[in-house]
Amino acid sequence: MLVIENCRLTWPDFSADYTMNVKSGALCAVIGPSGGGKTTLLHMIAGFETPESGTLTFGGLDLLPLEPAKRPATIVFQDHNLFPHLTAAQNVALGIRPSLRMSNDEQALIEEMLEAVGLKGFGTRKPGEMSGGQRQRVALARALVSGRPLILLDEPFSSLDPGLRRDMVQLVGELRRKRPVTILMTIHTPEDVADLADQMVFVADGRVIASGKPSAILHGSLAPRIAAAVSDT
Amino acid sequence: MMMARKLPHPGSLVAFAIVALVVGGFLALATVGGEKPTLLSIGPYLWRILAFSIIQAALSTILSLVLGTALALALARRRFPARDMILALLGTTMVIPTIVAVFAVFAVYGRSGWMADMVSLLGWKDSFSIFGYPGILIAHIFLNAPFVARILLDPLNFVPAEHWRLASAFGFTPAQIFRHLDWPVLHAELPGLAGLVFLLCFKSFAIVLALGGGPSRSTLEVAIYEALKIDLDFGRAAWLSLIQLVICLTLTGLLTWALKRPPTSHTVRGLIRRPDARDGRLIILDTVVLVAGTLFIAPLALSLLSGLSHIANVIDADFLQAFITSIVIAVVAAAIACILALALASAARRWRIVLRSPRIAAFYDFLPNTLLAVPPFALTAGLFLMARRLADPSSIGIVLLPLMNGLAAIPFAYRSLAPRLLTTEERYGRVAASLGITGLKKLTIMDWPLLKRPFGAAFALAMALSFGDFGIIALFGGQELITLPYLLFENLGAYRLDEASAIGLFIVLVAFLLAYVSGRLSHAGD
Repeated sequence: MLVIENCRLTWPDFSADYTMNVKSGALCAVIGPSGGGKTTLLHMIAGFETPESGTLTFGGLDLLPLEPAKRPATIVFQDHNLFPHLTAAQNVALGIRPSLRMSNDEQALIEEMLEAVGLKGFGTRKPGEMSGGQRQRVALARALVSGRPLILLDEPFSSLDPGLRRDMVQLVGELRRKRPVTILMTIHTPEDVADLADQMVFVADGRVIASGKPSAILHGSLAPRIAAAVSDT
Repeated sequence: MMMARKLPHPGSLVAFAIVALVVGGFLALATVGGEKPTLLSIGPYLWRILAFSIIQAALSTILSLVLGTALALALARRRFPARDMILALLGTTMVIPTIVAVFAVFAVYGRSGWMADMVSLLGWKDSFSIFGYPGILIAHIFLNAPFVARILLDPLNFVPAEHWRLASAFGFTPAQIFRHLDWPVLHAELPGLAGLVFLLCFKSFAIVLALGGGPSRSTLEVAIYEALKIDLDFGRAAWLSLIQLVICLTLTGLLTWALKRPPTSHTVRGLIRRPDARDGRLIILDTVVLVAGTLFIAPLALSLLSGLSHIANVIDADFLQAFITSIVIAVVAAAIACILALALASAARRWRIVLRSPRIAAFYDFLPNTLLAVPPFALTAGLFLMARRLADPSSIGIVLLPLMNGLAAIPFAYRSLAPRLLTTEERYGRVAASLGITGLKKLTIMDWPLLKRPFGAAFALAMALSFGDFGIIALFGGQELITLPYLLFENLGAYRLDEASAIGLFIVLVAFLLAYVSGRLSHAGD
């Protein structure tokens, strides 16, 4: 279980205070208006932001003293996930070992992951030779190959067209069914994940306003506010 | 019905005029009367200066790149209170004219410079000669290492924030950070920078003339000057110019090719702290680099401040005349550079977007760069020989000086104006075409609002380059035509270092002010 309790962060122009839980193995969709604190929440879990107070644990492990590299989490961003001078396979390999010195078994694992995200035979291509959707698939493969049980997806498909975006969300659902991973995914279009997510949280003004089943969140009393937030973005 | 004959595009006329001017100038130089030497007859002399030109340029380039890269990496990794001061120091040295750099080397490393004073205080009597390689290399590194550092620092800082977060998340070691984040940036930037620094050092004139220490230590540029001014050997000057032109054009071509950069990602990094900033070995390395870099650059830059107390002594009628002449020449040169660059950029835009012929557009893009390769003394002498049949030879200098300074500034003005002209066409070109807005109207209504700031920036930069230039003025300078850089050179020649320091400081202040205005204008409104 991912447990976040009263994790407080303060900047001169913004403050956040998060409290929420996510069950292990769940897919949790994080929705909310732009600038509401969704990305900050994921960055805090990943270790890029340090809260002044509160507790943050995953599976009973206290994450706060750990550097990003030591945390059981990996992240996929909306953009700039791949290093442009490396091939797709090398970008995936970074998730195993940044020195890029791979054993034969690890090479096979990378190929298997690329195949799992529908990119068989794309290993030698560089990011500049791939479409936006293909690049995000490579980033997803890297997140999976790293073997970390908590995957953070920070608006990973926002720059894709609606059809491709839905395909990618389906792909995340399929990959999750085959692996014991917990996923937190910020998303602008809640309807894309409504059928797939186990949990949905609505984040605004740096707070978790509501958390529950997607149907309850989307059709509950917050529906007008969510609709406004979505149309805003 | 008679078809109206369409006038050629102004950019085509400008391109034709530039090519005609260059070819005509060289032909005039090559065909002037008198005994003509053959390439064979100047062979041994040529090999000697060619070898010296290449060796000093290569050494200057390597050392400037090593120091500049190390400084850029150290500054990219560190945030400390004096960082802004070091950045300002690097920015200042970028606008120091070469003749002022010569003064700085004299003031610090010369026979009666600071370094000699310090060494004698320690009881070491052996004097160190700055003439030859030491002085030339010090001056070149002083001018180029800060330039390299400033140019590299921006792309190093613009590595996407996401890449730094990934480096943290995957636990990259400092070596892996260098390999995956810094090296791709350096790999993209260094070939172009190396070519440019080599070209500048290979063509170096004022520094080699003043610090070479004898005819055996000449660059081709100095040798051309000596052939024209001292030996009046136009044939030798023509041969040397042709060889320099071929070498520099080849290098410019390679430079253009090298500037097609491999892919790197750029975004604003914001306040991301580099994960390698905490590495103990890098802290030691960066401290050594920053201290060594500052100890090398700061005394040279600060030596100019010694002129502060002598400024009142140098302001006389000669100084004011030189100042006014420098300003007038700089204004005219900047106007020539900006107007010609605008015409060329406009032609390139038309061929690229309207006529969809990128190859011809590339010719217009390449033409300004070729001006960097043309030996200015040879071209000036050729034009002088052509013009003396038409005008009073004593007054030709005042025409050729701003013209040549203007031509030399075209590549920089073009780089500022051409991208913005493309942007306006992409944004408003179709609307303008549909409304029938063309020619001067198109320039004033559509282009000018977006162009006025880069135009101002290019104008100020061209003025700064011309104001501090000690090149063509070396041919024409004298009692009748004197600029501030020439006055500085005369004072240096007479070992009047106090006066030279005041004039040098004044030149740097004006050049810095112009460069500052240029920088503000080029970044404003972005």
